[in-house]
Amino acid sequence: MIGILQYCRGYLRIRVRGFSPERFMNLCSNRDILLWNITREDGVYDMNISLRSFYKLRPIARKTGTRVAILERYGLPFLVPQLLRRKMFCAGLFLALGFWIWSSFYVWDIELTGNYQITEDIFEDFLEEAGVHVGMPKEDLDIGTLEKEIRRTFKQVTWTSARLSGTRLRIEIKENDAPILTEEQKKDGGSDLVAEYDGTIESMIVRNGVPKVSIGESVEKGTVLVEGSIPVYNDDATVKEYQYVRADADIMLLHERTYTARLPYSHIQKEYTGRTRTQRFLRFGNREIRLPQERPFLVYDTVVRESRPQFFEMLSIPVWIGRKTHREYLDVEYEYTLDEAESLLNEKIMTFLISLEEKGVQIIEKNVKIDTNGGTWVITGNFQVREPIGVSVDIRPPKDMGETGSDE
Amino acid sequence: MKSPRKEAFVDSLQLPKDVCMGALRVTLTGNGEAWIENYKGILEYTGQVILLQGKTCQVCFEGSRLSIDYYTNEDMKISGCIQSVRFL
Repeated sequence: MIGILQYCRGYLRIRVRGFSPERFMNLCSNRDILLWNITREDGVYDMNISLRSFYKLRPIARKTGTRVAILERYGLPFLVPQLLRRKMFCAGLFLALGFWIWSSFYVWDIELTGNYQITEDIFEDFLEEAGVHVGMPKEDLDIGTLEKEIRRTFKQVTWTSARLSGTRLRIEIKENDAPILTEEQKKDGGSDLVAEYDGTIESMIVRNGVPKVSIGESVEKGTVLVEGSIPVYNDDATVKEYQYVRADADIMLLHERTYTARLPYSHIQKEYTGRTRTQRFLRFGNREIRLPQERPFLVYDTVVRESRPQFFEMLSIPVWIGRKTHREYLDVEYEYTLDEAESLLNEKIMTFLISLEEKGVQIIEKNVKIDTNGGTWVITGNFQVREPIGVSVDIRPPKDMGETGSDE
Repeated sequence: MKSPRKEAFVDSLQLPKDVCMGALRVTLTGNGEAWIENYKGILEYTGQVILLQGKTCQVCFEGSRLSIDYYTNEDMKISGCIQSVRFL
């Protein structure tokens, strides 16, 4: 610390020779002149002295009959005039300073954290639409509106926080972990449960409504299973009125499902020739700089890898470096062998079965066969399944029914 | 030079002697560094000997590669290989 202060104020290394250098030092200390790093070599003394004190040395030197010579100069008071003499250097310094200040009025980086469902691409598109982009002036950025806009656009975002730290816009979001429930509209009228498939009822637990079918009965698609209109009887067993409820029941239906998938004999596959060509590039914001290159191959795809050097990331400078690898390939037509076709088709059927199981469908029996038909492999699966059924269908209000009931 | 009366007085009041009597104060750290306060001036300074004038006595540091790190009116620091400290 003291060293830095001394450097700022400037100091000298002087050499004292003459009759009595000790007396010179004593006089210096008496006049509060600090001397440091005093060394003696061959009868001469070298020491450091601050620039300000140096101007007080003349009477002391005269009094003691010593001669003082400056060996070296250190510190800013000597460095600055030297630098000021170099005009272009000064101009560059001031320009750099100006640029630095000017560039601090802009947003140079946007950082997004906390996103799981919303991909960065989607968010970038959103920001672009909202007029927020890298290189925009800070004063045009309205953080409050941006936060509101984020919450309005993305329903799953429950909390947002945007803030500017330096030239970096940090956006933090919290997404809702629970799935978004579509609100069930409360309707005044009731609803029936209706069968979606043909089949046989295997079990039935009714929670609400009047069951219209019984276990073991076979139903057709569209048959009302549980009715949502509950009759209220008069004393003479005539219907007085209907109360409408939302029919609710767990009904298992035994029925048959079929699944068919097709696979053409031949397919086109990318076959890489192994020839690749690499191109390096430098990206500033959205502008890419690279060496001009002609079309590398006739047919090719490209793998882009880019990264941002730590240094630029820390300073929020939008500079990326990267490498593009162009890989040549040929479209080759292949024919599936029986084994390949079987495994592919089986995979398809497995995904179908898994999707069924996720819906709560139990498979009792299955019968799968693979055939060829007109240039394609066809897989047909017949499944005996036990499946929960029942879709809600709103009851069309039979107004007159209730009225007539009460009239009687 | 020492007045026995003054010394008795300072002793009885338990005052610090370096302040009241102007006694030299030497602080040694190993044989490499020494801090000295309450001196009047340097009488001799070479790489082997540093002789200092105090108010009541002189002190002589002998050794090799002796140098003065800093020197002010208040205190000074000597570094080097100190072999002996003598009061004359």
